[in-house]
Amino acid sequence: MTRDPSIQEESTSTEQAIARLEDVQRVTESALSYLNPDELLTELLERVVEILQVDTAAVLLVEDDGRTLAARAAKGLEEEVERGFRLPIGRGFAGRVAATRQPVVIEDLERSPIEVINPLLRERGIRSLLGVPLVVEGQLIGVLHVGSLIQREFRDSDAELLQLVGDRVALEIERSRLAVQDRIAQTLQRDLLPSRLPRLPGLRMAGRYIPAATESAIGGDWYDVIQLGHRRLGLAIGDVAGHGMPAATYMGQLRSALRAYALDVEAAGEVLRKLARFAEAEHSRMATLIYGTLNLDTWALEFARAGHPYPLLIRADGSASFLTDASGPPLGTGGAFSYESEVVTLEPGDTLLFYTDGLIERRGEQLSDGEAALVEAVADAPEDPELKCTSIISRLTKGIEVADDIAALLVQSVGLEERLSVEVPSAPRELAGIRHLLRRWVAANGGTDDDCAAVAIAVTEACANAIEHAFGPRDETIEITAELEADLVTITIRDRGAWREPRREHRGRGIPVMREFMDEVEIETGEDGTTVELRRRVGSSPQ
Amino acid sequence: MSEIARLHHESVGDVEIVRVVGEVDASNGSMLTEELFGAVSNQARAVVLDLSNTTYIDSSGINLIFDVAAGVRSRRQQLRLVVVPRSFVAQVLSTVSIDESVPVDGVLADALEALQAR
Repeated sequence: MTRDPSIQEESTSTEQAIARLEDVQRVTESALSYLNPDELLTELLERVVEILQVDTAAVLLVEDDGRTLAARAAKGLEEEVERGFRLPIGRGFAGRVAATRQPVVIEDLERSPIEVINPLLRERGIRSLLGVPLVVEGQLIGVLHVGSLIQREFRDSDAELLQLVGDRVALEIERSRLAVQDRIAQTLQRDLLPSRLPRLPGLRMAGRYIPAATESAIGGDWYDVIQLGHRRLGLAIGDVAGHGMPAATYMGQLRSALRAYALDVEAAGEVLRKLARFAEAEHSRMATLIYGTLNLDTWALEFARAGHPYPLLIRADGSASFLTDASGPPLGTGGAFSYESEVVTLEPGDTLLFYTDGLIERRGEQLSDGEAALVEAVADAPEDPELKCTSIISRLTKGIEVADDIAALLVQSVGLEERLSVEVPSAPRELAGIRHLLRRWVAANGGTDDDCAAVAIAVTEACANAIEHAFGPRDETIEITAELEADLVTITIRDRGAWREPRREHRGRGIPVMREFMDEVEIETGEDGTTVELRRRVGSSPQ
Repeated sequence: MSEIARLHHESVGDVEIVRVVGEVDASNGSMLTEELFGAVSNQARAVVLDLSNTTYIDSSGINLIFDVAAGVRSRRQQLRLVVVPRSFVAQVLSTVSIDESVPVDGVLADALEALQAR
């Protein structure tokens, strides 16, 4: 029987109800906010049972499918939760409450005009039931019902009281659900950012992610650095519209798709075109993005821009300019999926800053003001990339409650110095990277193409020997130092392995090769490893 | 891990041509040797190993050539190398005077001509 019109209003009980409601509010507002959602519900139901003087109370929540109710918490009907009771909206007692979004009363379960599906209600000997919908901002999220073991005439005032309690419960559930979502979004966000940036000789990088001041504004900003073989590095920064879980998950999707395309396609504009098509197929939210590849031989950065704020180039002399030539629409806005890319070559000392709009956008201010403030902040910032990043961000966010999250990626070319020192894992897969690095170093120090090739092969041979010597369960590494004195290049390769006789008849061909390409080769084997010294005069004089 | 070399394989009559495109070092030398044997048919009369597009090679590549030469010999097949004269690859191979073990041509056409491939 629903909304029995014969039930009389009782003003005194309404007053009592308000008094009891204050009770409920006191409990729901602060003390319980530390509990996790399930503990919170259990606690609330205990209160409900007490306040309404009933024997059972239960909360069923709407499942993600929007069509099913599932028992989530219960008092006096604990098995309902343990058995994982579920029923479709529209059927059974709770289903009726959900479908009508009205309080529903069953005065006597034995003579109920409503089909009762849950056998537990009868098993428990429940006679009377009162249920109310749980609604937050017009959205049905579940049902709260109470039951009495003795037949009881639930009145309108009871229904009103339960509805008031239900509204509180619904708010609490939603609040704690959102809090959990925010925590998940935060974790997701953190996990999707690079935990550390690759360390490459000649290049220094720093990345930052600053969440917005309000927790629920955890957003879809990210940056990424993708190693593309030994000669190229992919750089990305992006901003998905919106906040919270949906933005964070979509950001994760875009990040993965971008990584996949980046490994497969060389041209930055083409990578963005593919990503734009992906975004279109997802029918998801809007996103802005910059993707670029840095050629580690030439230091040319080719990048494409999808509606994202302009990157800022700070030259070694301190002059700063926004790079505005790359153009194309944000992802998820339809259109022609065409991205013009721009190429900029980084000279030693140059810094490139990528950032999201949270860094420069201020409510009630022009974007150009934000850009001007950025240029100013950059001018005063220290040289070191980490310090520079910190200084720029703290200066631009000083005294402002950051309304949007901020991501920044700073890339600085420092050139290859006269002395190079690296430690690399003792593994064959590292060889190609090692020789490309040495090639670049020789070129940067005035070597000819022949010098580069000669050093590359001699170092590769020495390292291959070191790798073959390395054994045992330890993570072995090889130390490589390269020095230039006048036109004499000296490269030292040191390992901690023990010398072993060449394994096969034709191993050991590496040493003659080293001698062919170097002026001098010295091999010293000691207790604690082997040191190879390679020397060659570099420059214009032909070999 | 990025792939630093690939094999391209084609036949001209009963002569099989294998091009090594990319870089050969200790990380991929023995893998390429195996792949190469898998690619070359037992039925071929001769094999041409074309190193014109090999951008880097070292002692691992030398080992590869000697291993291939031994394998081809045991199958009673002929082997010829294509190496661009005065190139980096040529300089590396000169350290073991490779031409004393395997005939070397400067261009693929010369190798096919010498083998009378049709």
